[in-house]
Amino acid sequence: MAKEMIMAGCAAAAHAAKFARVEVISSYPIRPYTGIMMELSKLVANGELDAEFIHGEGEHAQVSIAYGASACGARAYTGSSGVGVTYAFETFSPASGGRYPIQMAIADRALDPPGDFGSEHTDVMSARDQGWIMGWAETPQEIFDNTIIYYRIGEDPKVMLPQFSCQDGYFVSHIPDKVIFPEQSQVDEFLPPYKSPHPLDPTRPTSHGPQIFPDQGPAIDLQRAQAMLNTPKVIETAIADYNKIFGRNYSPFLEEYKTKDADFVFFLQGAHARTARYAVDHLRKKGVKAGMVKLRFLRPFPTEKVAETLSKFKAVGCVETSTSYGAAMKGGNLIHEVRSALYDEPKRPAITSFMAGLGGEVVTFDEFYNMAKVLAKAAKTGKVDQYVYWMNFDNEV
Amino acid sequence: MATQVQTQELEPIKNLRQVPQEEYYVPGHRTCAGCGPALCYKLVSKATGPDSIFLGPTGCMYVANTSYLCSPFAYAWTHTQITNGGAVASGIEAAYQVLIRKGKYKGKLPNIVVMAGDGGAIDIGLQAMSALMYRGHDVLFIMYDNEAYANTGIQTSPMTPFGSKTTFTPPGKAIPEGKKLFPKDAPQLVIGGHPAVHYVATASVAYPVDLINKVRKGLNYKGPTFLHIHCPCPKGWIFDSKDTVKIAKHAVETGMWTNYEWENGEYTYQHVPKTYKPVKEYLKTQERFAHMTEEHIAKMQAFITAKIKAPGKPIEIPVLGPREEA
Repeated sequence: MAKEMIMAGCAAAAHAAKFARVEVISSYPIRPYTGIMMELSKLVANGELDAEFIHGEGEHAQVSIAYGASACGARAYTGSSGVGVTYAFETFSPASGGRYPIQMAIADRALDPPGDFGSEHTDVMSARDQGWIMGWAETPQEIFDNTIIYYRIGEDPKVMLPQFSCQDGYFVSHIPDKVIFPEQSQVDEFLPPYKSPHPLDPTRPTSHGPQIFPDQGPAIDLQRAQAMLNTPKVIETAIADYNKIFGRNYSPFLEEYKTKDADFVFFLQGAHARTARYAVDHLRKKGVKAGMVKLRFLRPFPTEKVAETLSKFKAVGCVETSTSYGAAMKGGNLIHEVRSALYDEPKRPAITSFMAGLGGEVVTFDEFYNMAKVLAKAAKTGKVDQYVYWMNFDNEV
Repeated sequence: MATQVQTQELEPIKNLRQVPQEEYYVPGHRTCAGCGPALCYKLVSKATGPDSIFLGPTGCMYVANTSYLCSPFAYAWTHTQITNGGAVASGIEAAYQVLIRKGKYKGKLPNIVVMAGDGGAIDIGLQAMSALMYRGHDVLFIMYDNEAYANTGIQTSPMTPFGSKTTFTPPGKAIPEGKKLFPKDAPQLVIGGHPAVHYVATASVAYPVDLINKVRKGLNYKGPTFLHIHCPCPKGWIFDSKDTVKIAKHAVETGMWTNYEWENGEYTYQHVPKTYKPVKEYLKTQERFAHMTEEHIAKMQAFITAKIKAPGKPIEIPVLGPREEA
């Protein structure tokens, strides 16, 4: 029987990794993701999970240990936060280029300086171009489910890519909520044991990662790109299967809230979607036609779905929760993806972005209401005055 | 029920005739004529046999060996970053432990060998190597030492001898000796701080039987072991490519190199000359030392004289360091 538990995102991710029967785990402490490894180390120490638990000497080593294990055919799990994620950066391309489907749990955290424990998406979003599948969870239940689903997607022979399973630091990682534990047999049915097509195995010798000549580069890069292109279909099937086996109701790429007749929507990912939902409810009571669209995968970015969905509205406001200093739209990252996806649409919404939730700051109801004022005006006039608003600093917000 | 992990037992050899005929490091690579590290790879591969997984952190033996689609390795081989040979090896060893335990891999634990250059072992790769030694993984970590970053065009590494000319230590009016520093003591770094390590040794490509036996001995230990192998580099040290083995022997005869084993706290020495030849004779065989003055040579001789009193043990450099000199 499925069991209802109360736990925060860290424990939920750890228990999901146990249900996924991970075989090699590499740890290094940094807040807030540490809770995942503390929970897993207990499960290994108690004999509830048969896995090698390796204390890495840093995040760079954590990912290296994990992909070394994956290269031999073991299912490997690691994780980090904030500057730990950026410390590991060198290893991200070897992991995806080697087509090692390891999973790295991220409980995100603002980068230094200044020292800050709080949630911000910039840490792992900096690695969005490295060939990893990535997306955010809004709740402990969603990170539990994503952990299992991501392995299934990443290990698909058409994909073979590593995954960042992300949750907002503290907002998800440290706030307990209801989590439904499935039966182990359900997980085993959904997620078969990992089988590497070309393991490092002396009985079938292969060379991994040889040096190439420049003319061989494009073809190999194309293969990695193709793997990412194959991913959306695999995601759709995996989530349909998951919904069926576990009785969930996930939509693969975009979750819409009160969008049917909406004039404008907040577009965001992760924990702040919870606040956004309440803000939308409140705005609706006041007669404002607001809605919310939550992005579930940043990589691969669901371009067609985003174009099809967001072109229905008059205005879209990207709630960034990340920084991209000096970028085209001068704010965060989401707006670039959204504007690119919509470029060829005959009917495009007015699009702007809001710098909010940085450094672990809560995105408050008032901030959502102020965003709504900007978006309502844009919906009416059909254009935006600014591409980026720094919440509480720009005059209008 | 968990399956017991079985390890391999490799037999020592007595003489050159017993060196395995089979090649597991086969032609098809692009190393220089007279390459010391390539000779090292050939001998180490004969010692391990094919039931092995080798790791090649970035360096000469990655770049010159592994042209895509013509790998010279007849065993399983993987590239690692120059930074993370020790970490990837830890992951590989951990994977085999769990896969064998769960009955998913049927064989014995493969010989897992990291073949790192001096940079990948004790400079940028030091952290990962040390962590592997600390955690006690069943891995042989080999540092093939050609005393420079050779693949990138001969830049100084912590193993480059005092006085060497490299492209980062060119001798000039202000710095006539070229390289000012004395090298790290790599085996000492391992011996000194890693209680899980029971076997550390040095070897030279000029003494193949000794080298093969040390590789096998290291692998027979159920735990991390470290081997420091002296590999002359004709391109970096600037000598005729036919002289690789001669120069390696010369290093032993002058005390520039010493072959020894450290096993559970005990040192034993091999190939110790009855009387050491002057270091000057070694220095004059290579153009990298050609600019050295008598004063520089005396400084080098003082260092080596102190070192050969007890090779493999900590010494105080009997000369001034670069800051003290100023």
